[in-house]
Amino acid sequence: MKYLALIMVVGCLVAGCATPRPIPVTRTLRANEEEQMLWRRAQEEMDALNGSGVLYQDAEIENYLNRIAAKLHANSISPDITFQIKVVKDPSLNAFALPNGVIYIHTGILTRMDNEAQLAALLAHEIVHCTHRHSLRALRSTEDRTQAKSATVRELGQLLGITGSIASISGYTRDLETEADRVGLDLAVKANYDPREVLNLFELLKQEFELEGIEEPYFFGTHPNVRQRIENVNNWLAEKYQGNITGIKNTAAFQSRISRLALDNARLDLRRGRFFVAQRTVEKFLTANRDDARAYYLLGEIFRQRGRQDDVAAAIKNYERSISLNPSFPEPHKAMGLMHYKDGQKRLAKRYFESCLLLSPDTIDRAYIQGYLKLCVTNGEG
Amino acid sequence: MKKKLALLISLFLIAGCASVAKERSLKNLPDNEFSVEIPEGWWKPNHINKYLITKDGAFLQYVLIQQRPIDLPYRHTKKKLNKGMLPQEAAGIIIDEIASDRRILNFDVIENAPASIDGHEGFKILFIYKDKKGSAFKTLYYGFISGDSFFNLRYNAAMRHYFEKDIADFEQILSSFKVVKDTAALTIALDR
Repeated sequence: MKYLALIMVVGCLVAGCATPRPIPVTRTLRANEEEQMLWRRAQEEMDALNGSGVLYQDAEIENYLNRIAAKLHANSISPDITFQIKVVKDPSLNAFALPNGVIYIHTGILTRMDNEAQLAALLAHEIVHCTHRHSLRALRSTEDRTQAKSATVRELGQLLGITGSIASISGYTRDLETEADRVGLDLAVKANYDPREVLNLFELLKQEFELEGIEEPYFFGTHPNVRQRIENVNNWLAEKYQGNITGIKNTAAFQSRISRLALDNARLDLRRGRFFVAQRTVEKFLTANRDDARAYYLLGEIFRQRGRQDDVAAAIKNYERSISLNPSFPEPHKAMGLMHYKDGQKRLAKRYFESCLLLSPDTIDRAYIQGYLKLCVTNGEG
Repeated sequence: MKKKLALLISLFLIAGCASVAKERSLKNLPDNEFSVEIPEGWWKPNHINKYLITKDGAFLQYVLIQQRPIDLPYRHTKKKLNKGMLPQEAAGIIIDEIASDRRILNFDVIENAPASIDGHEGFKILFIYKDKKGSAFKTLYYGFISGDSFFNLRYNAAMRHYFEKDIADFEQILSSFKVVKDTAALTIALDR
């Protein structure tokens, strides 16, 4: 009896230490109850996201992203998945894929990229999470660890809250992320993209994490960390291509499309008080769009709200440029009014507030502006 | 046996009512420089924020009253309030903080206007949002800066039925709000 108990204990321990069962990658998806559950859960998450107001609605950008995904997917092992790319209004550097082939990219990461090859690297990585069924593998791995092999579908539903499609948002294990990097690199090369750009993307983002003191989000997460990933990519490139690397970057095509969302993302960064990142995005936008009144206004807002020494002058300069480019744009008038009002220059403030209300009688700040105008008059400067 | 059980239940109910009644008055809150009158029917759930009161449960409606050090960082925006700010600028930071919270979905500001609270120049923001489960809420948020503190009173309720139902109570709370700067007087009041 003692021996039997010992054998049972050892048996349990060995089972606990065993490597999670590999899931064969086949063309037949949704093969079992677990995977169907994952897809249903993915659909629920999609529905929640679709109705949340966080999606960036721009058909042209979505079409562009879907075209790149299709090029990458053409060489993948699971052609029966239909990929769909969506953009999330979020300034953080992140992207995630649901197991049903819907990939979400944050505006934050899109606006930091320099070219299409970098975008392709990110999309290829996410595509591999789907084609190689990483959600299912993550789920089964957790099942093995928790010895929950006999879980019913209902119990699985509870597990899905921790792993399942949630894993696709919060990140996978080191092995799965490494596989997504390695196979993703191959997909990018087969689609004729320059694979070295993934290194530039890693470097770019590593610098930003350090600069902003941000924790690495999952795409460049800690499993493995970004330094290890750079090393991995260097090794793969050396082993497989032995320095014989070519490929397209499509910088101009990428910039012309993605710059559309740069200002919106800069506004999100400004909201979070990430002044430096917002400023850099707007300045990058302005190099290609020199006469954009909205961009100068936004730059003015960044300086005004940051409020460092010299920022007042920089803010006024940018507001004035914005007004000169588009005199009927009300926002810089309002901002100029506010700056002069705070500076005690009531006459100038009054002029700008009045022009703001003339251009936008229903502005949401109307009550404040009317209050300032009253004070400008009662102070005898009307 | 049945009688004993009924007695026990009654005792629990009485104890529960007593504790709720004890918490009803939020006058002269100990570590804050303000006081408010709480209308009949509002109570403070023991497990949540010290200055949060509700009538039908915090998920349906609540009033939250805060005194916040002006330089205390926010969770979602790095922007900070400061003494020289206009109410409109302070309102802008509050809107940025709420809009940057990923739990707040479909956020929409309906009104942003100047307001006077206990004679202090401040702001009021009326906004709506949904939580991750899709439930819709409406919030009326008043705030002002005084000295080194940012005072705020907000009324949050389920958009359907509850917001309109108790808005008058919130207005009553708001009009009773007083900044009590004399901390010595406050201590005496607490001792009584």
